[in-house]
Amino acid sequence: MKHTRSTIFATLRLLTLAAACTTTAAHADEYGDVSQLLRSGKLTEAMIKADVYLAAKPTDPQMRFLKGVIQRNAGKQAEAIATFTKLTEDYPELPEPYNNLAVLYAGQSQFDKARVALEMAIRTNPSYATAHENLGDVYARLASQAYNKALQLDGANAAVPPKLALIREVFKPNLKSQTPAAPAVPATVVAKPPAAVPAPAAAPAPVTAPVTSVAPTVAAAKPATAAAASAAPAKPAVSDNSVKEAEAAVHAWAKAWAAKDMSAYLGAYGKEFDPPGKQSRSVWEQERRKRIVGKASISVKLENLNVTVNGNKAVAKFRQDYRANALAVSSRKTLELLKTGDQWLIVKESTGN
Amino acid sequence: MKRPIFTLFIAAVVCLATTGDAVARKKAKASIKTAHAVPVKPKKVAEAGLAEARLIEVYQLAAQAQGREALTKAESLVQDYPHFQLAQLVYGDLLAARTRPIRILGDVPESMLKAAAPVLVELRDESQMRLKALRERPPPGAVPSQFLALSPRNKHAIAVDASRSRLYLFENRPTGLALVADYYISIGKSGLEKNAEGDLRTPLGVYFITSNLDPKSLKDFYGSGALPINYPNVLDSKRGKTGRGIWLHGTPPSQFSRPPQATDGCVVLANPDLDQVIRTVEILTTPVVISQRLNWVTPNSARSASKPFEEALTAWQNAKSSGNMDRLLSFYSPDFNSNGKTLTEWTPALRSELDKVRGHAIQLKDLSFLRWTDAADTMVVTFGEVADGTRSGPTKRQYWGRQGSQWKIFFEGVIG
Repeated sequence: MKHTRSTIFATLRLLTLAAACTTTAAHADEYGDVSQLLRSGKLTEAMIKADVYLAAKPTDPQMRFLKGVIQRNAGKQAEAIATFTKLTEDYPELPEPYNNLAVLYAGQSQFDKARVALEMAIRTNPSYATAHENLGDVYARLASQAYNKALQLDGANAAVPPKLALIREVFKPNLKSQTPAAPAVPATVVAKPPAAVPAPAAAPAPVTAPVTSVAPTVAAAKPATAAAASAAPAKPAVSDNSVKEAEAAVHAWAKAWAAKDMSAYLGAYGKEFDPPGKQSRSVWEQERRKRIVGKASISVKLENLNVTVNGNKAVAKFRQDYRANALAVSSRKTLELLKTGDQWLIVKESTGN
Repeated sequence: MKRPIFTLFIAAVVCLATTGDAVARKKAKASIKTAHAVPVKPKKVAEAGLAEARLIEVYQLAAQAQGREALTKAESLVQDYPHFQLAQLVYGDLLAARTRPIRILGDVPESMLKAAAPVLVELRDESQMRLKALRERPPPGAVPSQFLALSPRNKHAIAVDASRSRLYLFENRPTGLALVADYYISIGKSGLEKNAEGDLRTPLGVYFITSNLDPKSLKDFYGSGALPINYPNVLDSKRGKTGRGIWLHGTPPSQFSRPPQATDGCVVLANPDLDQVIRTVEILTTPVVISQRLNWVTPNSARSASKPFEEALTAWQNAKSSGNMDRLLSFYSPDFNSNGKTLTEWTPALRSELDKVRGHAIQLKDLSFLRWTDAADTMVVTFGEVADGTRSGPTKRQYWGRQGSQWKIFFEGVIG
């Protein structure tokens, strides 16, 4: 399964990040041009254009970021690492350079360094989904290394694939929905459940392996509903109303977030909501306030929203395109909602799988 | 997501509350060492027992839901001891716990399970044994029941408890035996009670360290050194047991420690622990008791248990001092055998000894006796036999067996 991911996915992942920086209107053309050249594999031209731009604006983080991606795609690992490292020093608040640094380190099987970089990315921006996902993969990879040492499985070292393949294996593509491959994502959501049915027998415990494919999370993450799903592969019959209500609640949440309407935003979370990490509710609220109110502008777009309702519980899965100031992050997100009175309130928020 | 791993360790560590000072204990030990001013060369050596103390600390942190701290400590532990497989396993679990629930120690991915299953079982055993030994501590001041009387020449003593995969190291102080350290050990693949060459079992009994082998002469497999013991001893030979080359030795470079049952019959320690034992013990005079399960008794009860035997020994001493051959011979068992000589064949030698000491009482200097009880009751006795009027005499070893309430000698010989 892992091996079906082609280099293009890994590349696209970096492009996604590069595209993240292309939002400031004035320079959109230059960034767009370089991105386009990158995407079509014209690395030399892309580099020339980037260098010309940087000659005039040597500190510009977006173009430097793109340059790092170009270097990485041109196989200049060391230079790419240097570029991203410098970016993390100059702009320690940006999570993306840390993330890409981690991708490069992981490509060299330096999972410890990758881990540190990703932890920095998350410290910089706790809600940065890509880093969370990647860190999960890096932890799994480090765990596997430790297990191999513990069990003295000699095969492990021999089986380490070439470096670039390793990137494909370790890191899942994080495609934006508008990319050509994207339609496959919602498609598999529908198509996969029958394929996922044998899984519960093989893996009885609710272990969600981080490297499993995107689609069957419904079955894997919720063993309780898995049985029901296999019995009735179609959506369990629930009133359309509940689904619509829950969808509306999710949209309202995104709208409040984008509008920086803190009382509506925080009000969307139920009493039962479990803040990430070891944060208390109030610390979490404070942090959200700081992150959200401080932004000049925020845009939150939801795509491929899929809501399943089971009694007074609902699970909403979607792709979240978040843009704030010059940053843009696209990630998968899952919200678990609980109907409280006549309101659907968020009780769990998670990114990635 | 991180929670499940904590429950995993809780069971293991809850009972450790009393031994939560495992780390502190190691530190205390270090200060004892300096107090005794043993002239240890300032060579940089890994501290004995430290790796285990650090592993236990990781367990405790995990049990207290301090996952991050546990992970950090585990990481530095495996950096310092990359071949400590159990530590790697725990480190792997702590890492994996960040991505999925951990249900059991060594919750490896399904894909690894097949190849790993046997090793996993061994590592879990090792973990359990280490915890068991730390949970079930010897009562303070107690000594293994075998050590009835040690002489000042026995500066140290070793006792192995296979049921806890543990070696206990004692120092014989003027105030009595003091436990100074204990280490995880591995024994034979097939367990205990060695009978025959190649049976992959570790012998049970009372032994002595016979030499200290030069590590340079050893294969890597034996680690940082080896201390052979005198298996088969007199009792073993009498019972027709065979085999040889039972050592206390270290671990190969690729393994910090080995599973509880892993050897061909030797007792194996981690290299830092073995090094400490080698630095501590003396050749020939350090007894090594290997037991399925040690019975810990107070020194007082050991003394009173040895009274009947002490009386028999004094009677033998008096008989020998008296010069009366018939009286002396009554202490020897019909199945006596001294290095192949039956009692009849050996009697002339005894007679000439008597002739030599005629008229002089004999004294037993540096007397020690260790008791080994299984189907039979045996006393392993060592002393210097010095006749009055002389300044020194031979060091002798006797094996006495109990028949009913009577103690009889079935071996006597000169050692060293």
